[in-house]
Amino acid sequence: MTAVLGVDRVSKTFGERRALSELSFTIGRGEVYGLVGPNGAGKTTLINIACAVLAPDAGTVTLNGGAATPDAHARVGVASQEVALYRDLTSEQNLQFFASLYGLNGEGRARRVRTCLAEVGLEDRSDTTVSFLSGGMQRRLHIAAAMLHEPHLLILDEPTVGLDRESRHRIWRVVRDAADHGAGVLVTTHQLEEAEALCHRIGIIHEGRLVAEGSMDELRRHVAAAELAIIDAGDLGAVRDRADQLGLTHRTALAAVAVWLPERQSLDRVAASFSGIELRSVTLKPVGLEEVVAELTGGRQSEG
Amino acid sequence: MLALTVTQRILKELRHTRRSLIFWALFPSLMLLLFGLIYSGQDTQTNAFDYMAPSILIGAAFFFSCLGGPIAAIVAERERNTLKRLLLSPLSGASYFMGVLFAFLVVAAGQTVIVYGIAYAFGGVYRGSLVLGALVVLLSVASYVGLGFVFGSRFTKRTEEVNGPVSAIGVPLLVLGGTFFPASMLPDYLYRIAQVNPIFHMNEAMDAVSAQGLGVAAIVDHLVFLALFAGVTQALGVQSYRAMLQRERVL
Repeated sequence: MTAVLGVDRVSKTFGERRALSELSFTIGRGEVYGLVGPNGAGKTTLINIACAVLAPDAGTVTLNGGAATPDAHARVGVASQEVALYRDLTSEQNLQFFASLYGLNGEGRARRVRTCLAEVGLEDRSDTTVSFLSGGMQRRLHIAAAMLHEPHLLILDEPTVGLDRESRHRIWRVVRDAADHGAGVLVTTHQLEEAEALCHRIGIIHEGRLVAEGSMDELRRHVAAAELAIIDAGDLGAVRDRADQLGLTHRTALAAVAVWLPERQSLDRVAASFSGIELRSVTLKPVGLEEVVAELTGGRQSEG
Repeated sequence: MLALTVTQRILKELRHTRRSLIFWALFPSLMLLLFGLIYSGQDTQTNAFDYMAPSILIGAAFFFSCLGGPIAAIVAERERNTLKRLLLSPLSGASYFMGVLFAFLVVAAGQTVIVYGIAYAFGGVYRGSLVLGALVVLLSVASYVGLGFVFGSRFTKRTEEVNGPVSAIGVPLLVLGGTFFPASMLPDYLYRIAQVNPIFHMNEAMDAVSAQGLGVAAIVDHLVFLALFAGVTQALGVQSYRAMLQRERVL
């Protein structure tokens, strides 16, 4: 299958700082690829290179299996982290303008504008001036503007930052629809729960390197646990000591201890393993992206 | 074609906000009325509105709309982050520039109708060739817009800085260009300096055509200066815009 985006051993240095180091991955048609990692990991630099805003020092970027020419870039849609709209124009006028820049005109443009407004749930706000839209609506319109020309590759940088649950879910639906229609989607996000729910594959980037990538099931293999027990107790030190005695890996998670369970266990059995310690709560949860990222990027707060 | 898309968008924004359009109509109207009435009391030989209309059009109308307008437009693109969206689109720097120029030519046409409408109402007469007058207007607007692009993309980063270059550089040029009083009143050494001031040439050319009814031969030097100035400022403007896009190349 031809990749809509191919990134092959791309490196980029700013002065003394190496922002990206031999980073490679591909995104196929209809695939949502999430890029996660801490601040300064190199996500934005990678997006800039994928959009041809920055040139890599080494490595290549291909679009639809070919060279990343200006013509090929015309089939890329980008929604940057900051909303970029004309605040004194209506929703429809904004989309009409951006559609025209990509060569859409006449009835075709009108139809595409209506479709995109409907996709982001703003069909009843087409005549509303952007400055009168809520922050969530503006962000949805911002994403619609990136989708007008039916891009082969849609790049969304932190698309749901600062949004309420409803707007976030609406955007997730838009992203899934775009992928269902055949677009490859590259999403960067700090919200790991979002990446987990939305992306077919996830790449974890740390200090400019792709430290792991794959489906959620594949990524979970980086954490040697079937399940996590989140234990809150009056004496967390005692919980950590008991876990050591039991030979269980553990990490501090906020005001609790996350104990890695090598196999699934009942809540009673877990509680019994920590008998004699005054436990406030014990919760079992599956291994999530948060644990994988923490494990691979050293992002855990402390280790036992 | 993409230039016209930019033109339409700017005109729609101006129509939506209205404030700028109202002030761009009101300011030259009031200036023409004031100066026309002031000079009417001093000169009984000619109608003051005959010779005040050209200089008010150049110095009060076009100066603020076609110089300040493009500066504000570029700063707003940067502040709204739309510049980055334009950067990623197929729109070229030259098309963007032409789009802005066309938009302000439309604004300038409207201002010309208003200024000469008021002059006519007070007995003023436009004596020269309409085509020649339109050529002077075109070159004047092109010069202002080119200069606005240079200021907007090189020296102005935020909205509150827009007035800086307009006041510090533009207003002295207005005075030295004979906008509010005839350039012939300038001392010799200032008159010589005024020869390199584009506003001086705009005023002299427009006055010759409009108030004196002179032909192309009388203003050819002014036209050549303005054509060169417009060419240079537009080249500089596009180049400054491209340089600004390079600086903005971070999402």
